[in-house]
Amino acid sequence: MSLTQHQADAGAATGPQGKRKPHFGTGRSEFVVVAVLYAAAVFLTIGTVTMNVQGKSAPGPQFFPILVCIVLYLVATLLAIQIIRSPKVPDNSIHPGHGQFSADMLHDLGHLGQEEDEAYDNAPSQTPTKTWKTYSDWRTVGVLLGGVVAFVALLEPLGWIISAASLFWLVAYALGSRRPIFNIGVGLLFSSVIQLAFGAALGLSLPSGFVGVIF
Amino acid sequence: MEQLELLMGGFTSALTPINLLWVLIGALLGTAVGVVPGLGSAMAVALLLPVTFSLEPTAAFIMFAGIYFGGLFGDSTSGILLNTPGHSSAIASTFEGHRMAKSGQAAKALATCAIGAFIGGLIATTLVVFFAPTLVKMATVFGPAEYFALAVFAFLAISAVVSESVIRGIAALGIGLALALVGIDGPSGTARFTLGMPQLFDGISVIVITVGLLALGEVFHIASRIHRDPIVSRIETKGRARLNLADFRKALPAWLRGTAFGAPFGLIPAGGAEVPTFLAYGTEKQLAKRRNDPEFGTTGSIRGLAAPEAAANATAGTAMGALLALGLPTSATAAIMLAAFQQYGMQPGPLLFERSGNLVWALLASLFIGLVILVMINIPFASVWAKLLSIPKHYLYAGITVFSMLGVYAVSSSVLDLWLLIGIGLIGFLMRRYNIPLAPVLIAVILGPMAETELRRALAVSEGDLGTLVGSPITATLYAVLAAALVLSAVQHLRHRSGRKV
Repeated sequence: MSLTQHQADAGAATGPQGKRKPHFGTGRSEFVVVAVLYAAAVFLTIGTVTMNVQGKSAPGPQFFPILVCIVLYLVATLLAIQIIRSPKVPDNSIHPGHGQFSADMLHDLGHLGQEEDEAYDNAPSQTPTKTWKTYSDWRTVGVLLGGVVAFVALLEPLGWIISAASLFWLVAYALGSRRPIFNIGVGLLFSSVIQLAFGAALGLSLPSGFVGVIF
Repeated sequence: MEQLELLMGGFTSALTPINLLWVLIGALLGTAVGVVPGLGSAMAVALLLPVTFSLEPTAAFIMFAGIYFGGLFGDSTSGILLNTPGHSSAIASTFEGHRMAKSGQAAKALATCAIGAFIGGLIATTLVVFFAPTLVKMATVFGPAEYFALAVFAFLAISAVVSESVIRGIAALGIGLALALVGIDGPSGTARFTLGMPQLFDGISVIVITVGLLALGEVFHIASRIHRDPIVSRIETKGRARLNLADFRKALPAWLRGTAFGAPFGLIPAGGAEVPTFLAYGTEKQLAKRRNDPEFGTTGSIRGLAAPEAAANATAGTAMGALLALGLPTSATAAIMLAAFQQYGMQPGPLLFERSGNLVWALLASLFIGLVILVMINIPFASVWAKLLSIPKHYLYAGITVFSMLGVYAVSSSVLDLWLLIGIGLIGFLMRRYNIPLAPVLIAVILGPMAETELRRALAVSEGDLGTLVGSPITATLYAVLAAALVLSAVQHLRHRSGRKV
């Protein structure tokens, strides 16, 4: 329905692509978030316990981190329980919305009814034409992640112009541009304009890399 | 009327040719990021902050003023033409706006939005000019306990009251608070969670966090879907966007009603324009039902579009007042503006008007100038702006990726910042993937340190007595209102849940 992310419960949503048998992990990939939250909480706990406290103010520097730790442990556990009790739809169905706002509240405030929900559901972007094994396209995300990691690793040895142009080219390619030769030019132009505009005019120091050593 | 005099002073410093150029650049950039779905003023300011650091503060803030309102001028374009709102502040304008576009009134709809945004912003900014000194006077009686209560109010309102899932909202809040803890603890000088790395002694830069969450996270999110989501078709707009007198007369009361809904919400940390826009839309819907308006829900009613548009910009206008006078960011965009002030070594709040009065009044004056410029570049060129929707996404996001790297590297020429950026970008992607709200992270990062300092100060004064936190009438009222809002939203969630099961 509507503006939202009210995802149907897992059982109901196996409909169109219900061939594969749901196993325990189906619709529960959100455990990644639980893991991140626990990791953050454990990191804060270790940091708080081993903290080399300076001074002796009454609520010291460990006081607030302890509160944050409690919040993180609590919320991670509650989230895990919620995921176990009601998994989301399997990964390969479309679930729009960003979760930023309570759809229930907006529904009440806006006196929304059937017609708005339908108008929104008929939005073209939400008609699935094909289904995939996972909701996210991990191949594209992986290429992109590899690209930014390589950029950061090579920025100082290669210099801004070359590494930024390569990053531009790679992202454009991964996101579906089909003009690889032309894009080399676009990328080089883009990174050089930035070097000139921000490096020379606004005085940012961008690494020049080996190109700078030669000249 | 001391304010008028000060505002005139602000106008004289803002109306120099070079500053007008900065407003114009800000307005152009703001409209552009508003039109393109997924971007927005918060991301634009975050990306520009580091590269504008060599400008003098007044020039930078004058440009940010243009961006701040500009993002709300273009935001409904994609909703109207594509029926896919690019920003959550534009969802309420999409219903009637897209109906108008489908019945051949696309240009009229875009004009209604631009004028609505102008009227809402104008009235709200005027209110700020007149009431800012009152707010400042109010804020001077605030002590540590009051500031802590205000921060708690903002945290819980944004993460629990208005968010879809309370658990995910609080999770986002926790992530933000944890990020804000890294660095040297001010009061005691203790290094916290720095892993012994001196680069982290100053904490994780707010720029790294906002660019990671808003820009790089969005790029990862787009990458995860770009080969899968079907392409949407766009309704063409022809001719100039204009309204005739009859339309104007019809829309005027709706613009004013929308402004009335929007203006108070700028002062409440409810996350921005979503709540007031839906309130405004709902009111117009009820009114249309009462007077049997045949257009509403069929060919599209101009009123149903005008009210939410005015409400969105009115909220943004008064949010600026709350930010300047109280130092309280009530939306993600306002939080970035606060970060911008901190970058320049200024702390919004009562003292700002005394210490940097010139800058504040120049900023307020440039908000007015920005609105005039925005309405001038939006009404005649509405269909030109709509062409931005057809920029190839791969170039757009390639550019954003490179620009995020540039911005973060520019902060302190540190490669460590870039690694942090990638990590935070991945967190931003996970949050988008699993519908975890982003606004609580930003509010927590910005207000977290303030909340901690004020809490410790209050407890140090009272020697550990927790009663001091709820002791004064102001704090008691804030907590009571917060508790009531939490109960109301819980009831609402439960009611809808039982409604769905039937």
